[in-house]
Amino acid sequence: MRITIKVRRFNPEAPKPQPYWQDYTLEVTKTSTVLDALIRIREEVDESLALRCSCRSAICGSCAMRINGHASLACKTKVSAVVDAHNTLTVEPMGNLPVIKDLVVDMTPHWHKVRAVEPWLQPVGPEPQGEYLAPNEAMLHLAGVMNCIMCGACVSDCTVLEVDSNFLGPAALAKAYRFVADPRDGMTKERLAKYNAYGGIWDCTRCYECVQVCPKGVAPMDRIMAMRERAIGMGLKDTYGARHTLAFEELVEHSGRLDELRLPLKTFGYTNIPKLVGLLPIALRALPKQKAPSPFHKPIPEVKSFQTTFRKARQAAETERQAPTSQAHHG
Amino acid sequence: MQEYHVLVIGAGLAGMRAALEAHKQGARVALMSKVHPVRSHSNAAQGGINAALTDRGDRWEDHAYDTVKGSDWLGDQDAIEVMCKEAGQELISLEHMGVIFNRDEQGRLGTRAFGGQRRARTFFVADITGQAILHVMYEQILKSGIALFEEWFCTDLVVENGRCVGCVAMEIRTGRVAFIPARTVILATGGLGRVFEPSTNALICTGDGMALAYRAGVPLMDMEMVQYHPTTLKGSGVLITEGARGEGAYLLNKDGERFMARYAPTMMELASRDVVSRAEMTEIAEGRGVDGCVLLDCRHLGEKKIRERLSQIYEIGLDFAGVDITKEPIPIRPGMHYQMGGIKTDIWGRCWDPQGKWQGVEGLFAAGECACVSVHGGNRLGANSLLDTVVFGRRAGATAAQWAQDKPLPTLNDAHWVQKTETRIRTLLARENNGDTVARIRWEMGTTMDQFLGVFREQEGMEQALRTLRQLRQRYNKVSVRDKGRTFNTALIFALELDYMLECAEAIVRSGLERKESRGAHYRRDFPKRDDANWLKHILLYWRGENDPPTITYLPVTITQWPPEKRVY
Amino acid sequence: MKFAFYPGCVSRGGCPELYPSAVAVAQKVGLDLQELTGASCTGAGVLQESNLFLGDCLNARTFAMAERLGLPILTICSTCQGVMAQARYRLQDEGYRQKVNAVLADEGLVYKGTVEVKHLLWVLVEDIGLEKIRSMVVRPLTGLRVAPFYGCYIVRPSKVLGYDEHAERLQALERLIEALGGEPVDFPGKTRCCGFPILTINERNSVAMVAKHTWDAKERGADAMVTPCPLCHLNLDGYQVKAMGYLKDRIDLPILHLPQLVGLALGIDPKTLRLGRHLIAVAPVLDKLGKVAVKA
Repeated sequence: MRITIKVRRFNPEAPKPQPYWQDYTLEVTKTSTVLDALIRIREEVDESLALRCSCRSAICGSCAMRINGHASLACKTKVSAVVDAHNTLTVEPMGNLPVIKDLVVDMTPHWHKVRAVEPWLQPVGPEPQGEYLAPNEAMLHLAGVMNCIMCGACVSDCTVLEVDSNFLGPAALAKAYRFVADPRDGMTKERLAKYNAYGGIWDCTRCYECVQVCPKGVAPMDRIMAMRERAIGMGLKDTYGARHTLAFEELVEHSGRLDELRLPLKTFGYTNIPKLVGLLPIALRALPKQKAPSPFHKPIPEVKSFQTTFRKARQAAETERQAPTSQAHHG
Repeated sequence: MQEYHVLVIGAGLAGMRAALEAHKQGARVALMSKVHPVRSHSNAAQGGINAALTDRGDRWEDHAYDTVKGSDWLGDQDAIEVMCKEAGQELISLEHMGVIFNRDEQGRLGTRAFGGQRRARTFFVADITGQAILHVMYEQILKSGIALFEEWFCTDLVVENGRCVGCVAMEIRTGRVAFIPARTVILATGGLGRVFEPSTNALICTGDGMALAYRAGVPLMDMEMVQYHPTTLKGSGVLITEGARGEGAYLLNKDGERFMARYAPTMMELASRDVVSRAEMTEIAEGRGVDGCVLLDCRHLGEKKIRERLSQIYEIGLDFAGVDITKEPIPIRPGMHYQMGGIKTDIWGRCWDPQGKWQGVEGLFAAGECACVSVHGGNRLGANSLLDTVVFGRRAGATAAQWAQDKPLPTLNDAHWVQKTETRIRTLLARENNGDTVARIRWEMGTTMDQFLGVFREQEGMEQALRTLRQLRQRYNKVSVRDKGRTFNTALIFALELDYMLECAEAIVRSGLERKESRGAHYRRDFPKRDDANWLKHILLYWRGENDPPTITYLPVTITQWPPEKRVY
Repeated sequence: MKFAFYPGCVSRGGCPELYPSAVAVAQKVGLDLQELTGASCTGAGVLQESNLFLGDCLNARTFAMAERLGLPILTICSTCQGVMAQARYRLQDEGYRQKVNAVLADEGLVYKGTVEVKHLLWVLVEDIGLEKIRSMVVRPLTGLRVAPFYGCYIVRPSKVLGYDEHAERLQALERLIEALGGEPVDFPGKTRCCGFPILTINERNSVAMVAKHTWDAKERGADAMVTPCPLCHLNLDGYQVKAMGYLKDRIDLPILHLPQLVGLALGIDPKTLRLGRHLIAVAPVLDKLGKVAVKA
């Protein structure tokens, strides 16, 4: 199969460094990966093409890049699966990180964030003689998160990082979850309190980009959501995020439907004057256009039986959560 | 630059374990790697880590015996005893650091079976054991605050008056060259897999540390002992873990026969790797293969077990072979996997012998695959490599920290050393493009090694390999680098690595020619028997310059309690 | 073609213009909608933050209602589409479904795991078909450059949303715009987040997303943007003024709900489509199409 790879290149040592596209046309087989093709280019056509790669089997995390606009591992992506009707594909460096050269980005900002979540086990109490005893189920669950190879694909395509470089980002937060959910860690609440701050778990916009691009099925966003659930469960409720969620729950419980007028009021608090004043301009613009929910919020029919179900579901979840938890103990 | 007590080069498991231990002992430590630590090849160890735990009714002596037998009696038994005795304690300390490990019903660490061992004593995290441990070790490095040189490439070890006093390295991102002074240097640079083509090894496994130490004056030992792993994918050489067979997968030939019954009737698929690889090659050679491969059949394990315990292999099958291992057998063949030999060290990781039985360099240490203690001898058992890295990584770290305490550095001529590397780099970059490329030379070297130094060897082939390597060295000396910049110049890195690889390749061939018997992974068609009378000894090579053959010497194998026996699985 | 209609909360709440325009379009193209009046909110992904199981129960409840009618669900909200698809995916697990059904038992409901959930966009493209739509156009959107804004929940995670079987869904909006006679405008943010979910948590970031996407589309020559998600609409339309404040520049990009755009081309009266209700005036679009702007 004859294909063309359009590579986004950048040479910082050029007289006037500017990113540019370069096309490489070459012959590949139907089992070739994008990495195979790039290595061929580097070995046979253009030695100056810079990229990171090492294991070729999706375990070292070196070769994440944007292929046709979305981050993935070049070694895990078959050429035949990504070429268009003209047998062409595009390859760019990852997003949200500064480019050093060609497909090589500076991951330092990301590593700083990983460090910022204090990614090391913090048990409390004396160390046991042997291993900590812990349920296999909890460990298998963690293995799902440990699957993360820190390739940065999720960082590249995170929508929040695109507008705010302070966000810890999906990979660092998934790493954080790995300790929050580790039955051996003794600092769960302290950690969650820390991750609750600006740039942490509540800044995720739930866009699923990280879940979509993760080559290892880590589902960082699901881990972030699980931390939100745990933070609220542990009583860490004094964030706008938690308040928004709890207000949402309360309003839906009340009428079966969302009361959009009361949601921001409850989230901010009826006495939070600065925030409420902040809502005024948009309210004043929306009201004359009638683009607003009715102040006379109607519940769904038969709301009483709905509420029974709602409460039963919440109770069931609560019971499960309080079931003998997966705490580690000394063996 | 500030003077470190301990400079560790290589940030895989051995390197990071060494750095942590040295740090714990109070030394000022720096950790250098040509890739970010979590990119290291320790990631690729899928199956697990061996340890005989007394509270499971296992005995370290049994583990040691299995290791000795696996090594075909070439492993030094004092070193094997150390490794097997310390295994339990190392395993528990990994668990305490945060490694998650699969558990049994009681919540204790669970085990799986692995090749060449009479008992299930392999502890594991699904089939991502190496990755799970590596990332936890990196977490501990972050916690420690140890100085990191990430993406720095070591170009030279600096040895003055027989003592290693630091290294010269290039920051890959900028191309800047610097001298890093250190009272001790620990080499933990990993294997040399890319000397062969194909190989299961990552592209970064280029034998850097072995070549650096060799040229600095430390002998390389057991270099002829190159392990071919029985289950790798054809073409790419991507690895399928031994854990698959540990979980019960079968090896079948084209007639659907479990052929291992004819080669290892007791252990079957779980015989030692050299035995299984030879059996496979024999099947293929005698026409019972399938397109140059045999088949690994996991289907009877069931989808649940495969998804839970072999999830990565399931993915690798789909991604790299287009095979759903829950539904069909996957074609595999032996592929170059591990170098048992390496930089000669004692059981403390030292690259010198205070007793003077062999010559080395003071202040220099080595651990992990680049080192040869030797615990693997002629053939390494699966899941002993992770164990090797942590046991001897820790010992090297501790010893280096202690040794460094009262050994301040003399005044050094930094500029001279930096200049030497600068000149080398400038020469490479300045050379006219002559048509020959690093990639082409590397390819010829790799395929030559695979052809003549693979599962089966003989005199004539190895001599031919040597002639080829000598020619490639000549061509290398004229090769050019087509990227002339200094920022992240990967072409330059490859050129420097190829220099190391050619050095390692020649050492393998020289040792292979020397050992005139078959033992472990070194199987010679022209000398098909093990010959304990003449060859129960290690081969050591001392570098004597680029154009001269190395000096060859021998060391007796240390036997403590397991005299040589016939090796039957 | 008959569907169990799930309009969601916002189409009658913060975007009251969506419900009537959707119903009008459905009528026009011959969809028979039976509204699930007893259904509750899907949880919008928010409820799931505090209690995933609770959210799944509420959705299973809705699914059970549709299953009883023997109809697939039609939704006009991407967020509802995404959240229901996720719940449906998890509820394929029989053990999990049993747990959920135990909760629903009091209301006499049981979810058997058979429901299908489809957004109006997919129904138009896949069930009605672009040919049919094209034939029904009476007021072609000739010359109108429309930027398709998918947002997140109707495209990700693609596996859960059936993209493995329906790869063409990635181009559904573009093909529909073309069928209506308009010209799709490609821009980088079309499947990115509108910012709405973090509006109350981090307004700065939320509005920055609005600014980025509307600006990019405008810069590529879009006359309007169309979205299948009322929550995206709330942010892209409602907070565009604020976004202009951030950029210190004009954008003024009208944001249309999917049925509004379709309705226009099918000849539905702009007033029925409630085009006057937006914060960013739609008048320029109507002008371009040669129509007179309407009042709310």
